Amino acid sequence: MSATLRPYLTAVRHTLTAAMCLENFSSQVVERHNKPEVEVRSSKELLMTPVVISRNEKEKVFIETSVNSVRISIAVKQADEIEKILCKKFMRFMMMRAENFVVLRRKPVEGYDISFLITNFHTEQMYKHKLVDFVIHFMEEIDKEVSEMKLAVNARARIVSEEFLKRF
Amino acid sequence: MTEQHKFGNVVNPITCHAWNKDKTQIALSPNNHEVHIYQRTGSEWKLIDILNQHDLRVMGIDWGPNTNRIVTCAADRNAYVWTPDKDKKWKPTLVLLRINRAATCVKWSPDENKFAVGSGARLISVCYFESENDWWVSKHIKKPIRSTVTTLDWHPNNVLLVAGSTDFKVRIFSAYIKDIEKTPEPTPWGSKMPLGHLLAEFANSNAGGGWVQSVSFSPDGNKVCWVAHDSTINVADATKGNAVCKLRTEFLPFLSCTWITNKSIVAAGHSCIPVLYSIGDNGQLVFAAKLDTSQKKELGGLTAMRMFHSLDKQARSESSDTNLDSIHQNAITCVCIYAGTKVNASKISTSGLDGQLVIWDLNSIEKAIQGLKIA
Amino acid sequence: MAKNTFSSAFRKIDVDQYCEDNFKEDDGDQGGPTGPDEAEVNGKHLDALKAVLNNAPLGSKNQQIKDNAVNLTLRVLLSIKPSQIEDAVNSLSPDLIDVLMKYIYRGFEYPSEGSSGHLLVWHEKVYNVGGVGCIVRVLSDTRRA
Repeated sequence: MSATLRPYLTAVRHTLTAAMCLENFSSQVVERHNKPEVEVRSSKELLMTPVVISRNEKEKVFIETSVNSVRISIAVKQADEIEKILCKKFMRFMMMRAENFVVLRRKPVEGYDISFLITNFHTEQMYKHKLVDFVIHFMEEIDKEVSEMKLAVNARARIVSEEFLKRF
Repeated sequence: MTEQHKFGNVVNPITCHAWNKDKTQIALSPNNHEVHIYQRTGSEWKLIDILNQHDLRVMGIDWGPNTNRIVTCAADRNAYVWTPDKDKKWKPTLVLLRINRAATCVKWSPDENKFAVGSGARLISVCYFESENDWWVSKHIKKPIRSTVTTLDWHPNNVLLVAGSTDFKVRIFSAYIKDIEKTPEPTPWGSKMPLGHLLAEFANSNAGGGWVQSVSFSPDGNKVCWVAHDSTINVADATKGNAVCKLRTEFLPFLSCTWITNKSIVAAGHSCIPVLYSIGDNGQLVFAAKLDTSQKKELGGLTAMRMFHSLDKQARSESSDTNLDSIHQNAITCVCIYAGTKVNASKISTSGLDGQLVIWDLNSIEKAIQGLKIA
Repeated sequence: MAKNTFSSAFRKIDVDQYCEDNFKEDDGDQGGPTGPDEAEVNGKHLDALKAVLNNAPLGSKNQQIKDNAVNLTLRVLLSIKPSQIEDAVNSLSPDLIDVLMKYIYRGFEYPSEGSSGHLLVWHEKVYNVGGVGCIVRVLSDTRRA
């Protein structure tokens, strides 16, 4: 684990704690509706300043907050082509099943690999600190997951090529 | 020192709550379109009535202690005044609010002859009973509100109204209805008071931003306190030329605040604990104490076993508890005075998203915390 | 008579923007602070830090001035050694802590060689002093760094 991972995750955790102060807020544009303001962006005053937390050029988190919802977008480290492909496939796999993940968004925000949308309904039903834990845990695991898959792909490729070359 | 209450076996958030005059009954909304009335007998709560007339989430409840009437407002743009009939069931009367967005907050005036409703339609409806038509009617305060009105409070003189909104401003209006009351006496906030007249306007912050979450007039009516979404608590004093004193706190934003004496304020919100602030001799706001003194629960022995257990179960090494160390487990949305008045409150009640109602005994807390003096 | 056309462009018009009681941002002070002066910043790091934070052009409408201030502030932040950060943070007033946090978040938007790691240290130290409240204020203030 490199030296900047811990402070990076701590900074994200504190920022999420601050950002996830949501309340139930009825739309002031459409009557009798309740929409996540961070998505509809219809009233400027209900949006907060979006912030980025970066660990290096490639790994960063983009947090956009509004009165009743917060959108968290994560850019995952992708060192080479194989990691790029693995990451893309993995995220696609999850986002196709977004409704099972409750807080996952079906499409990432432009420039990022995966996005979460957390609304006041989530913070009412679930412990807020556990939601924060979940996002942090996800960020910890995703790097590990991608590098493990990369190793598995490489190992498999090696075995395949060995078997193949035995013939000659 | 504190009493914790739950209502039924539901864990729904409590949107807001209100007490009757002798505090034997409570009206609360379990985060839906209903208002539940509970009667207290000892430590038991008995559901005695469900006010079921709104069709969207209830946003505000206020119980007029002297006239024994409940007013509720909801995101369905309506407000109802409820009066008890002979067999103690509550009967609704619709109020003509004339608004086209959610009604967000409601408050009876001190004399209980009118009430004010804030709304997402960027206006305040001041409602009073018109006996000719046997009907609650409203007059609007519109200018210069630019966004949803989130919170309201009445001045003790029954005329002035303070409103906070999501356009980062706190405004003091006159809500004088000349049909039903006599000309008001001048106050430090101003002397001319036609309906809708803006007597004072305070920007929440010179850095811009921070939705106003709660406002409260001091018991003497000369000061107004507000909390905003930039984690600040503010007091403006009319007797000192509307000077504003602002305290930037290190907590998460507060959602509700009330005066408990002429010099002390309790605020509570996203950090799940009520906090006491007092006004110093030179008018400065100072942090006094956290009312929630619960300590971190001791993780008794066997930590290695616990660690392996959690490693095994959740595939993670840290043993962070699911429960928070505070009494409330989620944001506190509503603070009410339970015993006493704004001049000398001795008990306050808080409710929040965790579905709990907690009653705090300020006198015993004052004794328990060393060096704390609630003036 | 209304003419029947197949144009549907009118459906895209945002009619709400013409509502007269919409929220409008206050006009910031037009002249306003011009940002920190390059000359003030040479010399001691701590004085430099105070100079840039005190003169932060947060209310300015001029993006050029803001960008210059960001660059200068980041230069100061990155030139303070990690071991001196704690002392530097402790010497600041609560108001300046809030401003400092704004610039730290701004700095995260332009990651360059090693800068993010350094800023993460700053973030941690400022958080220890200002608490979560100062992050809330970065999010909620409309006057950005």
